[in-house]
Amino acid sequence: MRVFFQTLFLLMTTVSFAQRGTDSSKINLDEVVVTATRTPRSMGNIAIPVSVVSSKTLYQSGSLRLNDILAEQTGIQVIDNFGKGIQVQGLSSEYTLILIDGEPLIGRTAGVLDLSKITVKNIRKIEIVKGPSSSLYGSEAMGGVINIITDRAGQNKTDLGLRYGRFNTVDGNLNFSKRINKTDLAASLNYNQSKGYSLKPNAVQKTVEPFRRSTQNLSIHQQLGKQWKAGASFRANTSHIDNTIFVQNLGTTIASKGFEKNEEYNLTPYLQFNKEQKIKSILRGYITGFNALQQLNVKNATGGYDDRFRQLFARVENQTDWQMNAHAAFTAGAGIVRETVRSNRYDTASTLRTNTIAYFFAQHEQKISSKLTWIGGLRFDANQAYASVWSPKIAFQYKPSDKVKLNVSYGRGFKAPDFRQLYLNFTNVAAGAYSVFGSEVAVSELKRLSTAQLLDQTTALAGNLSALKPEVSGGLNAGIVYNLDASSQFTANIFRNDLKNMIVTDVIAFKKNGGQIYSYFNLKRALTRGIELGAQQKIGQLIQLNTGYQYLYTADKDVLQSIKNGEVFQRSLTSGQAYRMNRSDYGGLPNRSRHTANLKFNAENAKGYFSTIRIIYRSRWGTSDLDGNGLINRADEYARGHVQVNTSIGLPLNSHWKFMAGIDNLFNYKDIQFLPGNPGRRAYLDIQFIF
Amino acid sequence: MRISRIIGSAMLALVVFQACEKNEAPVVVPTLTEKTVSGIPADTIVGLVNGQPVGAGKYTFFSFETNAVVPSTDSNSVKWDVAVRGTTIITNGGNSGPGVGGAFVYVGTFDDLKTVPKDSVFRQDNAPTSYAVPNTSNRGWYVYSPVSMLITPIPGRVLVFKTAKGKYAKVEILNYYKGGVTPSATATDAEKLKNQRYYSFRFAYQADGTVNFK
Repeated sequence: MRVFFQTLFLLMTTVSFAQRGTDSSKINLDEVVVTATRTPRSMGNIAIPVSVVSSKTLYQSGSLRLNDILAEQTGIQVIDNFGKGIQVQGLSSEYTLILIDGEPLIGRTAGVLDLSKITVKNIRKIEIVKGPSSSLYGSEAMGGVINIITDRAGQNKTDLGLRYGRFNTVDGNLNFSKRINKTDLAASLNYNQSKGYSLKPNAVQKTVEPFRRSTQNLSIHQQLGKQWKAGASFRANTSHIDNTIFVQNLGTTIASKGFEKNEEYNLTPYLQFNKEQKIKSILRGYITGFNALQQLNVKNATGGYDDRFRQLFARVENQTDWQMNAHAAFTAGAGIVRETVRSNRYDTASTLRTNTIAYFFAQHEQKISSKLTWIGGLRFDANQAYASVWSPKIAFQYKPSDKVKLNVSYGRGFKAPDFRQLYLNFTNVAAGAYSVFGSEVAVSELKRLSTAQLLDQTTALAGNLSALKPEVSGGLNAGIVYNLDASSQFTANIFRNDLKNMIVTDVIAFKKNGGQIYSYFNLKRALTRGIELGAQQKIGQLIQLNTGYQYLYTADKDVLQSIKNGEVFQRSLTSGQAYRMNRSDYGGLPNRSRHTANLKFNAENAKGYFSTIRIIYRSRWGTSDLDGNGLINRADEYARGHVQVNTSIGLPLNSHWKFMAGIDNLFNYKDIQFLPGNPGRRAYLDIQFIF
Repeated sequence: MRISRIIGSAMLALVVFQACEKNEAPVVVPTLTEKTVSGIPADTIVGLVNGQPVGAGKYTFFSFETNAVVPSTDSNSVKWDVAVRGTTIITNGGNSGPGVGGAFVYVGTFDDLKTVPKDSVFRQDNAPTSYAVPNTSNRGWYVYSPVSMLITPIPGRVLVFKTAKGKYAKVEILNYYKGGVTPSATATDAEKLKNQRYYSFRFAYQADGTVNFK
């Protein structure tokens, strides 16, 4: 608590010597956003839930990686599992699309795209769209779309930054951008490292191993006459993580040493045509690759662990926007995607698995009156490796007055089956000899085992093996934005997502040696619903208050049905006896917090001195089943809810030198078991030089 | 509560008996017994072989009738009804013993099962291929978590037994660890191994040969 007051004092002193600034005391409503409709629209005219994180907020929050800043946004939860993934509207990481400059990032592990791979030091802004947007973006855009906009071309600005923090965290960054005649050039370099940490004292194995990562960006844009523009951007990202694993075997500890190396690169060339603000057409290519290599070697032993995964995603797409008149705008696009994967997780590392997708989409926006606008969209994805899918979306916006905006939207989202679900061919020799076969290889593998007389019996599900369908969702959002006056705004949004055809593993057969064989099926149905509230208030010229809250309810629909049928039971902690479970005992899907909230203070004067305090709350969340029913229900099956406070202070010396310092997790909150990614209090110092 | 109900119904029976046959002095013994048992070892761990924990390979035999552990020297008799070794539960029947025993898994609470349903099929052991009570995770009475490496009885599973002598009993397994307390998920592997294979369960045994558990 003492530290809290010290910080508050720090904030107050910052405020007291701050002078009346030229900075506006108004909330910016005219921010232009591209992600929601794939066309530039001012935020006040978008009928779906959208928010923007500016580069200034990124800087003042002291964020280094994408997960740092997203963890402070209302309705977004960062979950530490196979890297830092996010949850939006209660949908997990695999159902959220992450874009860099409008192009999808690949390189997911178990469906999770690790956000800590992405530096925010070269980001211009982040756009966050909630609810399904598959009508525009296709697969994965179910819970939401996060678009990271890096391009600073044309800013004519070069800066150099260096950060040092706890656990030997070093982050160095160079951003360069220059306009020469009709050419815009931009480049950035980022290097990030940490020596890792151990949460458990005297542990031989570190909780987080030492790592180093680097990112390079390069972009060029060339105006060709009045109507044409061409350009390309290139990005490369590598990370290297040390790995030392200790295994207890027969009373002796065996250390295996190795590393994990991830490389990712992408190239985006484009050609753009513009005619009198009426027609805009862009032809884009996108090639991205992700190579992961993981090796572990045991001392004085042969063999060891070797995991290789190489993914390639190439796409050509045209999008044409037609501003028909003052009331109507039409957008259409089409493209072809080719995806390939080689991995020894599926087969031998040389076997190539491919998928080709052809798609088109269209969107129409119509202003019916000065108050009412509707926007409708539709996309069709024809897939080679799995069933095709339609994704419609419709949204309405009604503005009864200048101060009030009402939005309603409904859309369908989908997620394509991934290569693992299609092609995995895995047999664990050590633990029970179980096997997992992807849906595309399961039938032939069963036949092979049967011919070899290794199969004991198949289950009823084996007869249902068929081509996997995409997982689909329907998402409804209804919200209000109320601008009380120029300095205060309230928002509310109710959402509901219904998911079906969710892919789960189930047993298809038993081997003669007792091992079980699993494959993938479109079996699960789930729902998430809730309400998100937000408020912004400017106090005078200097202080801004931001607060947000999300209530979230999630459930597996089949579990709800079973509870209704009286088929679900739980076990008392005290008597050990089982009794029937009520709906109110059911904690929903794991890793979901019912209540999340944040409160952010920001004070800044005209000279750029600033101070922030960000308070983030997360209520308890389900972790794993302990009473044998496979569900979250008992109090001991939850991780503790908690508050984390982050703070920062900025001291610009002059127009060239900017200093900032901060402490994340000020009160040193830790949960060794359920928050291994949280090392406790972290202080840092950051210097920026602007040329 | 339950005991008083049993006594109550016994009293009622007494009154009825007395009303009908005044001349004889009937000996009325409540035929349903309900007990909770704990600390039944089930081949507890004696060491590691090739890194895998092993016990001595011995079953512990139990009789519902006497509510007691039966010495293994009587394993080839009808003196026992059920025996445990690790997560495997055998019945005195099939190829496990000379009795007529069998079992099946009922889904519901212990109190739900007031009588053995008419269409019930008592499965018999055909060790080691199959058991009356399936001995694999999530198919019979327990679930094993590969994450926490703990074994937890599935709530809402009642094992319905036909005893060696053809009587009926129902069992709810409460816990698989010493003292009836499952170690914490964060406990050491040694702790989890050392304390496992101790059954706690409650059972109801109907001595009158009927299928009633009331």
